[in-house]
Amino acid sequence: MDELIQHLYPLLKSVTGYIYPNEIELHWGLLVSLYPYLTGLVAGAFILASLVKVFNVKELQPTYRLSMLTALAFLIVAPLPLLLHLGHPEKSYEIFLTPNTNSAMAMFGFVYAWYLMAVLLLELWFDYRKDMVIIAKSSRGLKKWFYKILSLFSKDISDKSVAFDHKAVRIITIIGIPSAFLLHGYVGFIFGSIKANPWWSSVLMPIVFLFSAIVSGIAMVLLLYMVITPIRKQQLDMICLDKLASYLFYIMIVDFSLEVLDFIHRVYESEESIKILASMVQTKLFGSLVIIQVIMGMILPLATIAGVKIFKVPADLRKLLYFMSAILVQIGIFSTRWNVVVGGQLFSKSFMGLTTYKMTFFGLEGLLISITLLIMPFFILWILMKILPPGGSETQEAAIQVPSP
Amino acid sequence: MPNWIPNLPEQVRRLALLVVVVVIAFLIVRPMLIPAGFGEQGHFRSGALNDAVAHDYKYAGKASCEECHDDMTSMLASGYHNNLSCEVCHGPLAGHVEEPEEVQPEFPRGRNFCPVCHEYLSARPTGFPQIVSQSHNQLKACINCHEPHDPVPSEVPEKCSACHGKIARSKAVSHHANVECDFCHSVNEGHKTSPREFRAAKPIDRNFCGQCHADSENGSDAPQIDLSSHEPRYVCWQCHYPHLPEAK
Repeated sequence: MDELIQHLYPLLKSVTGYIYPNEIELHWGLLVSLYPYLTGLVAGAFILASLVKVFNVKELQPTYRLSMLTALAFLIVAPLPLLLHLGHPEKSYEIFLTPNTNSAMAMFGFVYAWYLMAVLLLELWFDYRKDMVIIAKSSRGLKKWFYKILSLFSKDISDKSVAFDHKAVRIITIIGIPSAFLLHGYVGFIFGSIKANPWWSSVLMPIVFLFSAIVSGIAMVLLLYMVITPIRKQQLDMICLDKLASYLFYIMIVDFSLEVLDFIHRVYESEESIKILASMVQTKLFGSLVIIQVIMGMILPLATIAGVKIFKVPADLRKLLYFMSAILVQIGIFSTRWNVVVGGQLFSKSFMGLTTYKMTFFGLEGLLISITLLIMPFFILWILMKILPPGGSETQEAAIQVPSP
Repeated sequence: MPNWIPNLPEQVRRLALLVVVVVIAFLIVRPMLIPAGFGEQGHFRSGALNDAVAHDYKYAGKASCEECHDDMTSMLASGYHNNLSCEVCHGPLAGHVEEPEEVQPEFPRGRNFCPVCHEYLSARPTGFPQIVSQSHNQLKACINCHEPHDPVPSEVPEKCSACHGKIARSKAVSHHANVECDFCHSVNEGHKTSPREFRAAKPIDRNFCGQCHADSENGSDAPQIDLSSHEPRYVCWQCHYPHLPEAK
């Protein structure tokens, strides 16, 4: 018996008030926080891409393909934290073999698969098909075969065929918007529907998740656009950048309003949990919620972009301010996910005490794995951009000049 | 081939072919991958039940103990610990049932075992026997004074605070510190030995509090109200906690 509980003794020092014995250790830690952050980036980046295709925001055209590739890169990594957390990644395919319609978590597998296969991959395929055919034609050896397989041996790049591709992209994007809402709304739903946990149980949860996802997605694409464009030795399109920052600003206002609404609603409703939640926010979550999420991640970037909009700020300073704001937003949104996931387990269900989350560095749930998972999408994006260059490769550009037969 | 298929754009035909191939492959592979017995009794592999049954038993259950130790189990059945299984304190005993001499039960005789349930915690229900082990007969093991199979206080408690520690602590720092418990609660003497059988009574009448708080001529310094106009539809304790009346 003693051996079983020995490792809990050091944790007792960080427990305040009364908690039940099984609440000392948190079951969902850093990895589970990472997962809504990554899916949020996917949904957000896709919504940004849809602004170009569905809502015809021409200023954002330079970021369309970047957004799509970013969404794909992050979507590939999104399930990894969960697979690592659950501990048996080799069994994960089983949820597709024997679908359990009573389990919201199991059905998320299908939402994920739908979004990956029917939305992202399909839209990218139609969008890049002409480029892939051209690259296949102008290459030799393995590269030729690689692009031939990628394009499913398609050859037709006549105007009629390419026009069909564009139409297909538009239709898929229209289907993709509710799908992106479903993808991240679903993550919020999983938390929001846990009625035993007053920190999570809120009908506003899916919609708050969704808007914070769009905020993080736009900010991520803005960051990537600002980093990748100079690396590709291209000029930053200031009109596009201003537009990105504007959308970031507007969605942040909606997101902030929703979060404030949620806060006011909780305080006014003043359910029996309100005292312990208030105490948690004032103590254990003060740094990550009040300082990082609200002040650094929301108010500061909002004020900065508002300042840029009000005052005539020179382009170089604008770039710097946008860049800083987007980084702050990323930190803030990650903190939002952290505060939801970890915060929901810090207070006792007896409402009489608080526990603490101890992060480890090594191990499956540790910081090192999380950092690796955070870096991975950028590496995947780099590979994707090599395979599917957003602006078209030199070969491809040269080949495009050749009039089609 | 239906005549509408050649009219489809080339890329759609290729994509459709891929989808058809993937779907057919999935349909062929799926039955091979689903474990035998899945779905027979529910959304699980029915063989999992046999796997679980095949695990070694660790616990024997109270009935098995009764076969040899009926003196102990009958004592347990008549006492406050009648809801506890023997193995809560003595550990898993399936091995002991099989080989009584080789496998011996645990006997937690130290002072650190009973406080797992009986250490004072504000969340425990009022009336549940609780002690502060640091100040409760520090040098003695619990079983020196209490028979664990029929636990009763070694001596009848003199003060209410022996069991109602939380209330006593609150009251001690309140304006009601000098009011004795039995001033408000009429208690049968039997409550000290059989608390659940003989319950303490609570005042239910507004006039009871009014004795001190609605009679300005009684010379008391207590806050005074007019009972006829002060929230007449409520009993006092619905708004004021009598053990700490200044709490809001």
